[in-house]
Amino acid sequence: MPPVIDHEKCNACGICDEHCPLDVLYLEDDVLDVRYPYECWHCGACRQDCPTGAVTIEFPPMMLSV
Amino acid sequence: MQSGQDYRIEADVAIIGGGTAGVNSAMAAAELGLKVLVVEKANINRSGAIAGGIDHFHAFLESGEDWDTREAWLKYVGGLAKGAVNLKVHEAVCCEEMKAAIERVEQIGIPLRDAGTGKFYRTQALGMPGPYAINFNGKMLKPKMAEEVRRRGCRVLDRVQVTNLFLHEGEMAGFTGYDIRSGDFYQIRAKAVIISTGNTNRMYRSQTGNPFNLWYCPACTGDLHRQAFDADVELANMEYTRMTIVPKGFSAPGFNAFFGMGSRLINSLGENFMQNVHPMGDRAPRNYMVWGALQELKEGRGPIYMDCSHLKEKEREHLFTTLGYDKDTLPDFFIKKGYNLEGTMIEMTVSEPMQARPSEQCGSGIKIDERCASNIPGLFAAGDSSDQMGCLHMGVAGGYAAGKNAAEYARLAKQLRPLDDKKIKAEKYRIFKPLEKKSGMSYWEFEDIVRNITTDHFGPVKTENSLKAALQKLGGLDAAREDLKADNLHELMRVHEAMNIQQVAKITATAARARKETRFPPYHYRADFTETDDENFCGLIVVNKGAGGEIQTRFEPLSYDI
Repeated sequence: MPPVIDHEKCNACGICDEHCPLDVLYLEDDVLDVRYPYECWHCGACRQDCPTGAVTIEFPPMMLSV
Repeated sequence: MQSGQDYRIEADVAIIGGGTAGVNSAMAAAELGLKVLVVEKANINRSGAIAGGIDHFHAFLESGEDWDTREAWLKYVGGLAKGAVNLKVHEAVCCEEMKAAIERVEQIGIPLRDAGTGKFYRTQALGMPGPYAINFNGKMLKPKMAEEVRRRGCRVLDRVQVTNLFLHEGEMAGFTGYDIRSGDFYQIRAKAVIISTGNTNRMYRSQTGNPFNLWYCPACTGDLHRQAFDADVELANMEYTRMTIVPKGFSAPGFNAFFGMGSRLINSLGENFMQNVHPMGDRAPRNYMVWGALQELKEGRGPIYMDCSHLKEKEREHLFTTLGYDKDTLPDFFIKKGYNLEGTMIEMTVSEPMQARPSEQCGSGIKIDERCASNIPGLFAAGDSSDQMGCLHMGVAGGYAAGKNAAEYARLAKQLRPLDDKKIKAEKYRIFKPLEKKSGMSYWEFEDIVRNITTDHFGPVKTENSLKAALQKLGGLDAAREDLKADNLHELMRVHEAMNIQQVAKITATAARARKETRFPPYHYRADFTETDDENFCGLIVVNKGAGGEIQTRFEPLSYDI
């Protein structure tokens, strides 16, 4: 579900958490949690602002299959 | 879950909503040397309609072409938004500020001109008489504007949801809010307040059923429309139900890019049906495009497709690049769906409806005058949350105008007005109450009920009886508000949003009931009054709160003799 975090690449800087306009992402104890994936707007702010390229966007079947 | 610390903040100018309009207001007020505060529910770096990017800026540039003058622009605006746009306000907040707005965007480091040619890349759609839309790469526009706001010394409170406005002797005194992560409670006083919180989304069912898969920002939920109404602020143009054409499965923007580049809509019979709907065909105003598409889908000639196959390779490349500027993830979506540059037909549909302006050149919300002032002294509005502004160009231009006017007002105001401690205490209790509930209704269920009522009864076709039924059902939900629960602060924010959406839905239905005609079909299509009636309805339905808390309306005519 969008967005998907590559925890190997993620440096836990927290920028995506700070910038997400829908309060979807939570950085806690240095681990990035996609807590409310259903509330993602697919704006791509997290991916654009990630300094390590750790974010990819995946679309749910609800969007791709209809 | 407890609430956090209590904070009191004072400012000369406080701006609620740090989207495009809000950050431009902040820049203006700071430039005049005032103490400026921006309060934003998300983070001003990436908030509001252009959080992830934008690809077009509408403008007249005085290039020497006859369509490119201020007079031609005003003629276009008056024709496009007749009955909704106040041209005197438009001149003051848009035309007067247009040149400076373009310069400001470029000064903060976002080129509007093509790097190769040094010229503006301009396209024509949406009923324009000439190519008014400047195509540009605005993916970094929002963070750059945010950086400028901070550079100018404005104080920014990110992640604070504003919950209510407070007046003192009929004038703006301040507002309350809380931090959606810490639960800290804020009471803020300011000499002047600007509201710039966008339109109301999540108010109707979306195409895939997920209320966050929307064309416009799902974080904009009419919070300040509701609060303004409760503070006796007048609203206008609230009856309109805006929609657009979006890719099937993904309610993403891209309309301006597709049609600006010359793409065509075709039905499943291969017919370019817009030719029969409007003399401008696929370059018609947005509402007629939606109207045409709705008919095709309703009458069984769907699916409808975006046909780009006749475009030259270079044009297609430009189109797909610019689509990614407007919605960062849209090119990924197209690739995942198997669409490619070689002119595959892209399946499209009609987006979810929303509470918003009926055209690109006016607004829907807090009624403003030439100084961006509402009827409440000290309260101003800008951008999509005002009744006269919308779109990027007016967010930048008009946002700045609101900032200047509010700063002027704040300068002349002798002192801050007081907040009533008792009312603030009661508000704090109201805000956090859903956290105390162990069981009850979720914001999700409540919002879904609202969406079902709005969509079934006025999404978008309306009649006297459908609106009456909607209002009865929406009113019946009032009791459920007391039952709403939140398990954490994120859910608390959503609970307050859900209640605001419900109240805006009532305001929209009430205003739509008063407009007994059709205008901008299908944005306001009355099946019982199918004609546009300029004699009786060329103007604004103005909404305010009656003495008993009821929603009341009056009509204010507009004239177009420019």
